[in-house]
Amino acid sequence: MITKLFNFHGGVKPDPHKAESADAPIRPAPLPPMLVVPLRQNARSQAHCIVEVGDKVLKGQRVGDAEGMLGTAVHAPTSGTVREVTEHPMAHPSGLSTHCVLIEPDGRDEWVERTPLDYLKAPRAHALAFLRDAGIVGMGGAAFPSHIKLGKGSGIDTLIINGGECEPWITCDDRLMRERAEGIMAGARILFDLIGAKRVVVGIEDNKPEAIDAMRTASAGLEVPAEVVAVPSLYPAGGEKQLIRVLTGIEIPHGKLGSEYGVQCFNVGTALAVHRAINFGEPLISRIVTLTGNVARPANYEVLIGTPVEALLPLAEPRPDTDRFILGGPMMGFALPDLRVPILKGSNCVIAASPALFPSPQPELPCIRCGACARACPADLQPFELYWYARSRNFGKAQEYNLFDCIECGCCAFVCPSHIPLVDYYRFAKSEIWARERDLMASDKARERFEFRNFRQEREKEEKAARLAAKAAETKAKLATREPAEDNLAAVPSTEAEDPKKALIAAALARAKAQKAVVAPRNIDIDTLSPEQQAEIEAIDARRKSSANAPEAPGKAPADSSPPAQVPATESDEATRQ
Amino acid sequence: MSGIRRYLDSIEPQFHKGGRFEKYYAVYEMVDTFLYSPPNTTRTAPHVRDGIDLKRMMSYVVVALIPCILWSWFNSGYQANLALSELGVAREDWRGALLSVLGIGFNPGNFFANMVHGFLLFLPIYLVTLIAGGLWEVIFATVRNHEVNEGFLVTSMLFTLTLPPEMPLWMVALGISFGVVIGKEVFGGTGKNFLNPALTGRAFLYFAYPAEISGDQVWIAVDGISHATPLGLGEVGGMAGIAESGLTWWQAFFGLMPGSLGETSTFAIMLGAAFLLYTRIASWRIMLGVVLGVLGTSLLFNMLASDTRPMMAMPFHWHFVVGGLAFGTVFMATDPVSASMTNAGRLVFGILIGFMTVLIRCINPAFPEGIMLAILFSNLFAPLIDHVVIQLNIRRRERRHVSV
Repeated sequence: MITKLFNFHGGVKPDPHKAESADAPIRPAPLPPMLVVPLRQNARSQAHCIVEVGDKVLKGQRVGDAEGMLGTAVHAPTSGTVREVTEHPMAHPSGLSTHCVLIEPDGRDEWVERTPLDYLKAPRAHALAFLRDAGIVGMGGAAFPSHIKLGKGSGIDTLIINGGECEPWITCDDRLMRERAEGIMAGARILFDLIGAKRVVVGIEDNKPEAIDAMRTASAGLEVPAEVVAVPSLYPAGGEKQLIRVLTGIEIPHGKLGSEYGVQCFNVGTALAVHRAINFGEPLISRIVTLTGNVARPANYEVLIGTPVEALLPLAEPRPDTDRFILGGPMMGFALPDLRVPILKGSNCVIAASPALFPSPQPELPCIRCGACARACPADLQPFELYWYARSRNFGKAQEYNLFDCIECGCCAFVCPSHIPLVDYYRFAKSEIWARERDLMASDKARERFEFRNFRQEREKEEKAARLAAKAAETKAKLATREPAEDNLAAVPSTEAEDPKKALIAAALARAKAQKAVVAPRNIDIDTLSPEQQAEIEAIDARRKSSANAPEAPGKAPADSSPPAQVPATESDEATRQ
Repeated sequence: MSGIRRYLDSIEPQFHKGGRFEKYYAVYEMVDTFLYSPPNTTRTAPHVRDGIDLKRMMSYVVVALIPCILWSWFNSGYQANLALSELGVAREDWRGALLSVLGIGFNPGNFFANMVHGFLLFLPIYLVTLIAGGLWEVIFATVRNHEVNEGFLVTSMLFTLTLPPEMPLWMVALGISFGVVIGKEVFGGTGKNFLNPALTGRAFLYFAYPAEISGDQVWIAVDGISHATPLGLGEVGGMAGIAESGLTWWQAFFGLMPGSLGETSTFAIMLGAAFLLYTRIASWRIMLGVVLGVLGTSLLFNMLASDTRPMMAMPFHWHFVVGGLAFGTVFMATDPVSASMTNAGRLVFGILIGFMTVLIRCINPAFPEGIMLAILFSNLFAPLIDHVVIQLNIRRRERRHVSV
């Protein structure tokens, strides 16, 4: 088994602050007056709503169906009535809204009929679909669908259960491992079978000795090769690639996934959720949330998904000097712009922040290229280079320096002596690049449309030409029969009657000429005015000059609408208006 | 809330966009953040920060310079008083008048007299550096609308300590102006310069006014006395020349010899180095690199020593105590902005400096001192060194994963 641990590059040691809430046992949070269940649980997919306003729902009843490749189902966290299906602010740094089902609990907390799955007998695809429909996603934060991570069921050698919990302040996984180790290991067992692994390794930071003991006891009862390993406490040891590196020594290269190297990682909370789903038929409708920071009673609560943060906060009694609430840890979380946001499957912690606990950032100073960020970066990047390129909007270069390998752990910004909010720069660069790619995709589509239009026009032209050719052939036949009766004008083309097009043109020309001959006398050529007309124009000009303000001028203009006469008329009109 | 805070808040709108003093926001900001920490809060992660701080780094460098500064007062005063007593004359300028009026005198055996005399030599140079360079800093900060950086305090102190004790003050102003403007600001200011600004300024003076910053005349702040630095002696007469002057290694180590203000005492510099290494502000890799570079190159030259180039015979332990090598190693080469950034790169960077320094000292008869040019030269190579280190690192890690 594992005898040697490895180091990942970089990492930092922020003040852990685990003691505040680590001794608070998990307690169920009371039912909030309204549950806001988002249909979108992650950035990649949105569930399709299958309930209507006014519907009665039971606890665990599905309210949203999985849609798309990365979709998972969404369930009612308790029994009650659907009050609204509407846009509601989400836990997002900018407070974006998304489609949510608002459920008013009836207080009975009545379960829907629960059917466990005998996953060993069922076909594997069926088991994965079962997990998808139980709404199982990664509970470490990213909320990536677990059934996708289970993959093909082959090629995975090591299943890692991630109990790292390296972020300061957060203790929900610690409590979960202390109190529900059996369930976690039972879930690990299911994942082990479904993924076809050869061994299970649980990685826990060594600052959680009780959790390690509990998990060791629980893993002893497992019939599969399992080991609980204490890893050194060094942020971000709980990062997926970092934990894989520490436990197995495998360094996942740029653009690759752990699964390509025979390793797959699941959070302890996810393992427990899998256990509850498969063995009890309970979908994922709650999670453990740590309430800590500047509060009188730091605590760990089992919270229903969709509970608004504002309903949770009074449980921990924030102190009066609290100035904002951070969702997630202090290294990667963000200040909530709106406290009505619901707890999601990946929300692990709410920290009450005060100026004393989280002092104001110092003003940003110039980068002096000291390289501290590069030494702290756990992804082996050159953060200062990324910073220069992001700052100068040189996004191509930023991508060349593997911007997208950045896990936004915040180590670089933590150590930066110039207090540069480096992660903000990377987020900015990433979203700019995404926006550009979207634009590019849109312009690709536009180009395709344009090319198709060209193709269609070309095709229509050809069709028209074919039609014309047919018509011309017809005309030619007609001409051939009518030739003797035609006059000279028509006779000219008839000599070239081999070419039907020319014949047509000639005919059209002849028609135009005839028409022109009819119209010509009515048009006055300015060079060949008759003396009367000339005299009239001069008279009009004289009148106009004598009285620029002559109202009768337009009326006296010749009614024969000869163009030269009209010009002064309009001009005097202009003058009148002036 | 204090009165100052209230006053600052009351005038703040005038410095915002559209306000009367919009252009001088940088100045307002400088005063404001110097007196108070700003009231912002973090909205995005991380919300916690390490204790390390740029301002603290800068002030620690100045703290590390204190032994050198004190020594520069004593030694320049001592050298001047010694020369005066040898010549049997009194000081004629305002310093002499002041010292006489205060009754301090010019006795080289009096520690206090030496300190005050040296302080009077040091102070005008430092003040001119601060005022001239600071003016440029504020002008650029105002035009560019950014904050004034504390890094300048370090630059001005370093620049002062590399000058001879009686440098004409207008040249001092010119030198620091060149260093700040051409060495730093034209490239975008702090952090964007690729040369060390203090050394750039000094190099400018060195090439523009060699008579005032090199040779035998300038190192003692007394007119009419000629006293070469040990490096100058070595250049001409090799180790024998230095021995003839009566200078022992220990004297050189403690810095009882003529030279630039702050460079003479390797001992004082080592105190500063210990502080910088303990606080982890300066890179030990760069310092080690220079030592290795000097060691290897000087040993090589010792083997090649010839009569035509007597400097080649100088053993490495002498290299460290004469000239500006120690000062450059500890305070100039470790400037993070112009040095290499990668760990391996820093070692290479240091070795290159050490190698170039000894090379220039021993081979080039025009320049007895090499460290200044060696550092500037290596500054130019720093990005290239980093690039190679990173590429090699990528290749090495790729190879590691081919087998998986």
